[in-house]
Amino acid sequence: METLLTAQAVFYYMAAASVASALLAVTRRNPVHSMLWVLALFLHMAGMFLLLNAEFLAAVQVIVYAGAILIFYLFVVMLLDLPDEEARPRFERHWPFAALVGLSFASLAWLARSDMDLFEVGIAAAAKPDGPPLGSLEDLGLELFGPFALPFEMASLVLLAAIIGAILLARNRGAGA
Amino acid sequence: MIVPLQTILGLSAVLFGIGAFGFLARRNIILMFVSAEIMLNAVNLSLVGFSRHLEDPRGQVLALFVIAVAAAEAAVGLGLVIALNRNKPGLGVGDITELRW
Repeated sequence: METLLTAQAVFYYMAAASVASALLAVTRRNPVHSMLWVLALFLHMAGMFLLLNAEFLAAVQVIVYAGAILIFYLFVVMLLDLPDEEARPRFERHWPFAALVGLSFASLAWLARSDMDLFEVGIAAAAKPDGPPLGSLEDLGLELFGPFALPFEMASLVLLAAIIGAILLARNRGAGA
Repeated sequence: MIVPLQTILGLSAVLFGIGAFGFLARRNIILMFVSAEIMLNAVNLSLVGFSRHLEDPRGQVLALFVIAVAAAEAAVGLGLVIALNRNKPGLGVGDITELRW
């Protein structure tokens, strides 16, 4: 009971901190500060994944999202020298409409989830009573190399296409051709 | 289940709304991409919540694919940003006014 309460308290802390860091990330003037707030958001998200029995996904979140993707964004921000970025307006002129869109989407999803008829647990759990624990590496590996083998291979193709596309786009034309 | 699924879905909805606002409102193209990452992360959270609720690993596998696609999107998007910036410095979406390079 004590541990459950602690876990709940930690979860609600993570939830509050992730909302706060997301808000700060989209409103800060300095792009590097925004990136660092997004980093905080991703790390809190990884903590929530841990609490929701997704250990492998939490590790992937820290290593791939926070460690690789976000650092890549930071590199690009630092590579492109933006001296006057902080002096220019952060938002487009139409930002109140954007706020309206975000707010109405969030409240629609909020309303949709509160009277959703929550189907009960038991169907999938009963199907494999003595399998590996949910979210463990073994569990995800069995799925990835079983029913999800084709999408898994397709993901490698998507990443290959992205690598080739990024090199072609960012290559210096003068030096290349 | 330490928290009800509805809490997780509500949190995911709020984060998605914040990301949508950032994507539509920010001037800086890199910060627009980052807002899209916030939206993808919100969706991942709801996938993991469903996976936990239904005791089914497929939600987590889907979230893994979302992360792979986000990586691909980041690579192509930032390649585009660098190419655009080489032609014409400035990262505002308002700076990109020509259809040809």
